[in-house]
Amino acid sequence: MRELFPMKQVNGFIFSLLLTVIALSVYFLDMSFELGITILLITAFVQAGVQLIIFMHAGEGEDSKTIYTTLYYGVFIALATVFGSLLAMVWGYF
Amino acid sequence: MNVNSTQPLEYSTEQNRLNILGFWIFLGCEIMLFATLFTSYFIYENRTGSGPAGAEIFEITPVLIETILLLTSSFTIGLAVNAMRLGRTKAMLGFLAVTLVLGAGFLSVEIYEFIHYYHVGATLQTSAFTGMLLTTLGTHGAHVAFGLFWGLFIFLQIKKQGLTPQTANKSFIFSLYWHFLDVMWIFIFSFIYLKGMM
Repeated sequence: MRELFPMKQVNGFIFSLLLTVIALSVYFLDMSFELGITILLITAFVQAGVQLIIFMHAGEGEDSKTIYTTLYYGVFIALATVFGSLLAMVWGYF
Repeated sequence: MNVNSTQPLEYSTEQNRLNILGFWIFLGCEIMLFATLFTSYFIYENRTGSGPAGAEIFEITPVLIETILLLTSSFTIGLAVNAMRLGRTKAMLGFLAVTLVLGAGFLSVEIYEFIHYYHVGATLQTSAFTGMLLTTLGTHGAHVAFGLFWGLFIFLQIKKQGLTPQTANKSFIFSLYWHFLDVMWIFIFSFIYLKGMM
């Protein structure tokens, strides 16, 4: 039975629940927008990292370099699209 | 077929290895797809017109239930892959079944949520904000709905054929997809719901 619940994954699950609780604090506690969005940015990206490394085994296998390159590329395009558009269309350069 | 027994079953053939790599490249594209949806959402977030704003229609309870269900299902599909690597077919099928049930639970709550939005007058046509909100949530929900059928068919195949290099490979790729959906939900949870209700 024990081998079916490896510590690494159980800890990863507990850690991701903990991150969810921390993220929830922005709803239940009274805080400034800047502090709230900082907390959300940190918890969301750490959470994504936990999933990728612990649960998706991104680092194992001989293709892991290619896999990480694809991921970095995808994330770079994602961030450039989101923040580039926000900069051009919302934050005042219109 | 050249089976390499030093690797887990899902990596054991050249074809399997390439399938997994190919799926990662697909996930890279999915990241970009969701990025464009998030971009449009952030741009239209305040364009509510005469419709409701996010803070008026979001409800914390269903969102929390959805988050816990999806996080737990992501954990159980991870356990399924672990059981698969130990060669425990029954345990693997059990964890896969739990994952699918949790996924179905997630989808039911999301359908409830969409009905709620409809009743409070937040439809696709109401405003730029509600349109993008429902498109983003709907794209994620459609992915989960597709995943449920995919997972169900893999479940049936393993029941019939047992764990072979092929079925193990399919299960592993399905687990990647399911974890990815969880990651996207975390971003929706943080930057659509919590940010909207802050």
